[in-house]
Amino acid sequence: MTTTLIDTAAHSAGHNDKLLLPHWAEIVKIIPEAEGVSTFHFRFTDPTVQNRYRFEPGQFNMLYVPGYGEAAISMSSDLETAGGLLVHTIRHIGNVTRATSRLKVGDVVGIRGPFGTSWPLEAIEGMDVVIACGGIGLPPLRGAIYRIIRNRARYGKITLLYGARMPKDLMFPAEYEAWQKADIDMQVTVDRGDDTWTGRVGVVPMWFYHFRVDPHKTAVLTCGPEIMMRFVIYEALARRIPSDQIYVSLERNMKCGQGACGHCQQGPYFICKDGPVFPFKALENIFNVEEY
Amino acid sequence: MTDSLDLKIALQMIPWFNSLTPEHFNKTAELTHLRHAKAGDIFFREGDKQDYVYIVLDGRVSLEIFVPHHGKVRFYTAEPFDVFGWSSVTPGMRQRTAGAMAVLDSTVACIDAEGLRNFAEIDHDFGYLLMRRLANVVASRLMVTRLQLIDMFAGPSEPIND
Amino acid sequence: MTDKTLFIGSTVALPKPELDLLLADLRKNDYQTVGPHMQDESIVYTKIEGLKDLPRGILSEQNPASYRMLQTDKDRYFDFIPANQSWKQFLFPPRHTLFSASKEGKWQLKENDEPAPRYALIGVRACELAAINIQDKIFLREDFSDPIYRSRREGLFIMAVNCLDPDATCFCVSMGTGPRHTAGFDLCLTELDEVFLVEVGSELGRSMLAERTYDLPSAFVQNAANQAMDRATRSMGRTMDTRDLPELLTTHLDADRWNVVSKRCLSCTNCTLVCPTCFCWDAVDQADILGKSTRRERVWDSCFNPNYSFVVGGNTRPNIRSRYRQWLTHKLGTWKAQFDVLGCVGCGRCITWCPAGIDITEEVAAIRAEVNS
Repeated sequence: MTTTLIDTAAHSAGHNDKLLLPHWAEIVKIIPEAEGVSTFHFRFTDPTVQNRYRFEPGQFNMLYVPGYGEAAISMSSDLETAGGLLVHTIRHIGNVTRATSRLKVGDVVGIRGPFGTSWPLEAIEGMDVVIACGGIGLPPLRGAIYRIIRNRARYGKITLLYGARMPKDLMFPAEYEAWQKADIDMQVTVDRGDDTWTGRVGVVPMWFYHFRVDPHKTAVLTCGPEIMMRFVIYEALARRIPSDQIYVSLERNMKCGQGACGHCQQGPYFICKDGPVFPFKALENIFNVEEY
Repeated sequence: MTDSLDLKIALQMIPWFNSLTPEHFNKTAELTHLRHAKAGDIFFREGDKQDYVYIVLDGRVSLEIFVPHHGKVRFYTAEPFDVFGWSSVTPGMRQRTAGAMAVLDSTVACIDAEGLRNFAEIDHDFGYLLMRRLANVVASRLMVTRLQLIDMFAGPSEPIND
Repeated sequence: MTDKTLFIGSTVALPKPELDLLLADLRKNDYQTVGPHMQDESIVYTKIEGLKDLPRGILSEQNPASYRMLQTDKDRYFDFIPANQSWKQFLFPPRHTLFSASKEGKWQLKENDEPAPRYALIGVRACELAAINIQDKIFLREDFSDPIYRSRREGLFIMAVNCLDPDATCFCVSMGTGPRHTAGFDLCLTELDEVFLVEVGSELGRSMLAERTYDLPSAFVQNAANQAMDRATRSMGRTMDTRDLPELLTTHLDADRWNVVSKRCLSCTNCTLVCPTCFCWDAVDQADILGKSTRRERVWDSCFNPNYSFVVGGNTRPNIRSRYRQWLTHKLGTWKAQFDVLGCVGCGRCITWCPAGIDITEEVAAIRAEVNS
């Protein structure tokens, strides 16, 4: 492979010698977000596991609900912000994630992880950063946002483009003011507004029409529906942002997280271990191939 | 500072106006006035027959349609340098198909569309530039509408059992 | 007779009844001896004790979507060409319990700590050994080592057999995997009418064979074996042009041939289940009705299953066209980037067992022709 993929080193609670064997983690807190979406805070019941667990924003865990199975869910915070807890924002939509909606504080789930690559937050230091996300694509970037805010001086202009279906579907609205105060240009867009919505109505890629970027010092981090990312990438490339400065987080069916079970393959990659975060350069030949 | 100087400085901020010849620029400026709208001010309503095309200089203007049982639906907001009310530049389209309202305090360049059409008829070079610009506006609006039509954030249409 | 000159690389002539004793010795050494056996008008790989369980005098006749057994009166045991089963089932079990969990107050996990069986595989063809070597690269990697596969592979005894009578669906010569073994076995048989020629491939194989009665092979016997193997090499039923295959396939994802083949493919998953290199698996929970206990299992999966590529936003490969294309471009294309080898050994199983008779060699040739036209 000629394209360099992201190299993420993280301590793991999942790469043991026992195939798919999870560690139990207790639910410490549940925060309802938008309709059908909640954020869970977990702590491993085994303190040894809890203490050695590290991850980088952009990585994911396999969450196991006994009797239902596993689902791959991104971390939606970072350990520093969450006081060492694991934070997952879950849309209750599949078999496993619907089962999580019935869980209460004190219940346990199994967790394996972390898996996959992370947002290249060190590689993009010194650059302007456009974070373009939509729907449930914001949670996998929130940890990166926290990390950037903590090291705000190391980055240039930061713009957060965030799209959702309706104002009521927006994730984490209570935090926007703090992010704005941290000198992040918040551009929140909905597909459809009502009388009370004074923000933008349209779609995320549209932002590129109205703002100028300096292509050589701009990095794009994008996560959301693939169709949205496709148009973000079109607009970014049209503004001559190099394809190795555009980072994409892909979603595929994942069963193992270790590049073993085969489900998440796309072209030469196992999305679970070579991704989920890729420089777009590595995806150029396969990203837009229909049903590949 | 006179109003007309104010207007010209404002228009020079608009990327498209930069590419006009001085003659075309001045002619367009003659057809234009600035409007400082307060949040909530209406530019036009669905069904209106007024004849302007608008460019947002500052603020935000929403386009909305009243849908029975759903109330007012905002389907687009025009951001700075966005064009709205573009259909009045095309011949034959004289009735507004949506309403436009300032959602923030906004400064908007209002261009007399009849004047633009007449000028484009007389000076086809200008007409070409105008229509080329308009085609871009319509193309980008279509792109946005398609992505909205896809309803990309909607849940799956069938229950998921995996 | 113990011959002190027996060493790795030696070839001896073993009277056929001695095979029974060799298998018995393997069992004494805690191996389960598994090999070919006639069952339900087909050949399966299952527990065998000796010659009596082997398919005596059986030939097979394989064609696209067609498998027939032919009974001859020859006193030979390995003339058939393998059927739908492969050795994959022993190293990568089709169904394996990972752990069970039960809720008594809190959820408790119980690992599956059953010891791995030690298998002696009897009658492994060169293409099949090549398939095991490919699966080694998949399951035993630096960054991921599959504990189920590893525990079975480490204790494995391989008694190979050279293929002498290839079928119409065979193309191992094209894939460079057979029909003759070169390495990677403990012992390797070449069957002649009267005796087995046995080549020693490992110290373990040498020590097992050393206990048996054998002769030095006559030049006549060796010559006969070599001729039989040369004949086998020349009588492949099919060929596949492998030049630049990964590039050919991965740069023609829009070939019209994908549409053509997708009208025939039933997406039944047969090809992936019979394929000795296909490695995809799923993990499923088998829960009791009260939700108080569950067993988590690993099961074989297939890229042809509609749920295989399912994500919440929809199925990334909703059509048969995209699934067939994924299978073929992976097996003969991106597999190379992942594991530095192609995922096909030329065994022909996917051709025989496809109910629609889709022929992988024909599909590759058609794409090549389309690209070159």
